[in-house]
Amino acid sequence: MRAGREYVDGLRFSVRMGTAEGSRHACRGNPNRLAAWCFCVLVALALPAFADEPHERVVVADPYLELHTGPGRAYPIFDIAERGERVEILKRHTDWFKVRTARDKEGWVSRAQMEATLTEAGEKKTFRDVLFDDYLARRMEFGFAFGSLNHDPLLSAYVGYRLHENIDVELTIAQSAGDFSTTSLFYISLVSQPFPDSRWSPFFSLGAGRFTNTPKSTLVSAIETRGGLANAAIGLRYYVTRQFFLRVEAKKHVALIDYNRTDDYTELSAGAAFFF
Amino acid sequence: MVTVGMLAAATAQAAESGSEPVIPPQVDRRDVHIPKISANDVEIGAFVGILSVQDFGAKPSAGLRLGYHVTEDFFLEGTYGRSTVSDQSYRRLGIAIFNSEEVPLTYYSLSVGWNLFPGEVFLGKNWAMTSAVYLVGGVGNVNFNSENHVTYNFGIGIRVLPVDWFSMRFEMRDQMFTSDLLGKNELKHNFEMTLGAAAYF
Repeated sequence: MRAGREYVDGLRFSVRMGTAEGSRHACRGNPNRLAAWCFCVLVALALPAFADEPHERVVVADPYLELHTGPGRAYPIFDIAERGERVEILKRHTDWFKVRTARDKEGWVSRAQMEATLTEAGEKKTFRDVLFDDYLARRMEFGFAFGSLNHDPLLSAYVGYRLHENIDVELTIAQSAGDFSTTSLFYISLVSQPFPDSRWSPFFSLGAGRFTNTPKSTLVSAIETRGGLANAAIGLRYYVTRQFFLRVEAKKHVALIDYNRTDDYTELSAGAAFFF
Repeated sequence: MVTVGMLAAATAQAAESGSEPVIPPQVDRRDVHIPKISANDVEIGAFVGILSVQDFGAKPSAGLRLGYHVTEDFFLEGTYGRSTVSDQSYRRLGIAIFNSEEVPLTYYSLSVGWNLFPGEVFLGKNWAMTSAVYLVGGVGNVNFNSENHVTYNFGIGIRVLPVDWFSMRFEMRDQMFTSDLLGKNELKHNFEMTLGAAAYF
């Protein structure tokens, strides 16, 4: 409780610091600070819950498992586990699994070899099925993209959550630093994937949010503009692996500047994303 | 499976003795639990270094990194850093470029890394640490003197892992952006040399 209060105070303090610093340098809001906060949120999301569960055990079904010294094909093989031997899975790093053999040796085994082992509980279920279940259970995704917004360079990052097989909800922040001004976008969108199982998966999205346009302070009569934002997009995902994909999209943004004025912008971008 | 077997045995026994079993079996279907293997693909770290901004000298920098290792060859990484820029040398000549002599600089970038030379580093006779020389490149944004610039970065580094969950790295990166601050719009090369430490989750 006490720690929580301290944290909140710290937050207020830094916000206050932010305004003070901002006015001293005549800088109207620093979008990079927003990026820093997003970074912290992502760090918090990435921290897994540490549960002290017993390690999973599998039975070697191939003639043998090769134990490498590190998680990569280039690392030398220093030991093996034979058919019928039980090995304990300690952790995973990318497509490599750290295992401990019955003779207490620890080494890294490739996914291809692990897929040929059997799980201890009901030897019907192979490790391959287990891995597949694990991939299907992932619902969060994170990605970033680079592109153009009406010919100005645009950088964006998003976090997505799979609500349903075909529907995702995504939160996006984007920033475009043009020659005369900087535009920041923040919006939430619903994404529909008609063919989620296909390697090339097209998608459609509809979103709404806010935008801020800050002209360079060196310009005369530089006025910051804020307003609502609505957008629609079509795009395509290409799954490089089951976890990692590339995506391209074309998006039309409509900025609601005031009661009787709207502006529209075209975004073209390409990026990478992964499930976690 | 085992419970079902036990039940079968108990029923057989009960049938044999021709009476009710002494302990009535309470059969619950066992939950099939999907094994969870903890993955440590996320790398969270901090760094300190020196950032040299073209035309403005070099200043200490520090920041945070969040990385995700997609395969053994590729990783994605977000970086947020802070430093300062000073126009002291121009002020000595009577020209002020910024509002004050030293202004803060913040930057962020999103990059893709490629583990070019994975290998091992040996310390003495008994300690081998996994390592990798990697290339990294990406895009980002830098903010100083109330202006944002899109940056393109490219660099090379070496990462050494004394244990599975901890890494140390040394990196050189060029963060390029175009600026018209000195009257002409041109591409500026800004080299940064950093030393970082990170943990895997």
